[in-house]
Amino acid sequence: MANTRTDLMQGTLELLILKTLSRGSMHGYGIAQRIHEAVDDVLRVEDGSLYPALYRMEERGWVASEWGVSENNRRARFYKLTKAGRKQLAGEQANWRRISEAVTRILQTA
Amino acid sequence: MKDLFHRLDPEQTRREINEELRLHVDLLTEEHVQRSMSFEEAREAAFTRFGNIEQITDECAQIKRRQHPVVRALKLFLVLVFLSGVVIRIFATDYQVTHVGGVLMAVGLLGRLWLYVRGLVPSSFMSKSEESSPLRLRDEVQSLITVYDQKKHTPVERVIFRK
Repeated sequence: MANTRTDLMQGTLELLILKTLSRGSMHGYGIAQRIHEAVDDVLRVEDGSLYPALYRMEERGWVASEWGVSENNRRARFYKLTKAGRKQLAGEQANWRRISEAVTRILQTA
Repeated sequence: MKDLFHRLDPEQTRREINEELRLHVDLLTEEHVQRSMSFEEAREAAFTRFGNIEQITDECAQIKRRQHPVVRALKLFLVLVFLSGVVIRIFATDYQVTHVGGVLMAVGLLGRLWLYVRGLVPSSFMSKSEESSPLRLRDEVQSLITVYDQKKHTPVERVIFRK
């Protein structure tokens, strides 16, 4: 029933990925690690779900990828933000703040 | 040129996706081994945290197919066909030529529609189950923010119903 609702707003994962990549180019495992470090006490992210999200973001032109060598000398695909991705991040961040402020205001009056 | 041929090969694309995902699972395994787990336990924990690798590979391959150079070229071609149809419809004075413009517009529009429908994933028509949500609130946090009253109203619903 309703008390098992756990879905977050659509696009939240993309926002977390965009923000993580704003610190520089990273491979999928690196992105997952950063997200876990930051929000593991509140959010649970299935690592594999990052990849379809990354591929969709690449399709939309928000991130670009290229093969490189990981810290343990293995071939890895590195992702970085594009100009469109930075613009998207700025827009999403502003949108997120607006919505969370509105919801907080309602919750405070309840 | 070599890169283009690489990208045209669906099997190569799948292999590359699989290589990328395997690296992630291997690094997760290493991480668990460093926390003094046995290799088998670490491997199992890594796969649990990662999710279904085959299903994720399929999903990524499907997205990659949409980025395929041939598909992108076809999309661009259809847009050009549609636009040239519009131009012909506007500027042509002869009825026959105007008719050709209409046909071009229809071809471009229907072609794009066909590509769009073909690219849809059947599962996207169904609502995702709770378990398939990629990002979830931890249960303990969920219980803190979802405080229901006797009428099973959330805090937001209580505000709405009070008015």
